[in-house]
Amino acid sequence: MSQKAQKPLELILARNLLTSLSTPAFLVDDSGALIFYNEAAGALLGISFEESGRMPAEEWSHALGPFGDEGSPIPIEELPTTKALRQGRPAHGGFTVRSVRGEEYEIESTALPIVADGGQEGAMIFFWTRANDTPGRE
Amino acid sequence: MKLKVWGARGSVPAPGPEMNRYGGNTSCVELELSDGSTLIIDAGTGIRSLGVGIAKRLPKINILLTHLHLDHIQGLMFFAPCFQSQSEITIWGPSSPEASLEERISRYISAPLSPVEVRELPCEVNFRDAPPSEWELGPAKIRAEAVTHRGPTLGYRITDGPTTLSYISDHEPGLGAPLDSLEPEWISGYDLACGSDLLIHDCQYTDEEYPDHVGWGHSRLTDTLTFARRVEAERLLMFHHDPLHSDDFLDRFQETAQERWQELGGADGAVQMAAEAQELELAPAKVAVT
Repeated sequence: MSQKAQKPLELILARNLLTSLSTPAFLVDDSGALIFYNEAAGALLGISFEESGRMPAEEWSHALGPFGDEGSPIPIEELPTTKALRQGRPAHGGFTVRSVRGEEYEIESTALPIVADGGQEGAMIFFWTRANDTPGRE
Repeated sequence: MKLKVWGARGSVPAPGPEMNRYGGNTSCVELELSDGSTLIIDAGTGIRSLGVGIAKRLPKINILLTHLHLDHIQGLMFFAPCFQSQSEITIWGPSSPEASLEERISRYISAPLSPVEVRELPCEVNFRDAPPSEWELGPAKIRAEAVTHRGPTLGYRITDGPTTLSYISDHEPGLGAPLDSLEPEWISGYDLACGSDLLIHDCQYTDEEYPDHVGWGHSRLTDTLTFARRVEAERLLMFHHDPLHSDDFLDRFQETAQERWQELGGADGAVQMAAEAQELELAPAKVAVT
């Protein structure tokens, strides 16, 4: 058997979908850990998922944002991701994210919960930059 | 564990003289477990012939359904034990938030598609959602998990003593996923099939046919072989043949598959096309064709 427990099918299919999109997007599991992001998100953040790997919720929100007006990380419980996971409903917000190159982007993000037979499996988070300066886009 | 294929065709029955060797009946596999009991997987049209033989000798019957597409349930209405009062039939299948398993199957076994209703069947029939965790039927430990297909669909892992069979008849694990490089935890069906002595797996399309059928829920040859190699299955029985594929076509398809399998490092003779009436005896790390 595999060393790591296989992901629920809903998360596998979500990853397959996000892989095919040019909209930057994250996939988190039910604990809020970042378990995948697509190439468009990698272009925005300046680092691919293959390079960064899986990150617990506190780690990715500290490293990548989102940040508030004063540049400090927004508390986890205020993030759309957290609301989607805890309340099982879509949530939306506007923030700043910072790439590993130090570039900051004003973004809007929508988190959609992934709910299956067994309950909450995770969430997909989509990003839109407010300016037309998204890396990798014409 | 002994196995007999009663139907290996996918999508729709495909009778005809050009289909005689591999058969035209849709999905149905019979397993004889180590205690002599019988387990049936899927109830395509192949189950009709199976039912004729077991109607009187087996009062208790368990049927594992992967999903409720017609090519996996069409034979139920013609399964002889359903019409015998001494039969006790338990049908296991995927759950759905939309309706119970019985309600969904009853859409087929009811007017106007059927002259009889489920409640009119003289047998005792029970419908059970496949549990999310492993369960036992006789000496077999059974595990069911959702796999990539259209609609709620299960694959099964059946272990009887030291022998394991994995059955994933309808599966498109390569949809949007690079199977050769993806981590195992992200591959649909990986845990079900990992290290099995025999993997029965969807191989409906050639690589050339697949681009016209992406997202239909079935595998092309490359993905079937790659999946089988990734899970390190001892043997592979390719299943769910396209109704357009004649015997001669499947002969050539099998030759190609065997060549490709060996190029991937697989053992000679470990890959075969499933054929109606084919019987196999499974043993750990060895499957003998009888």
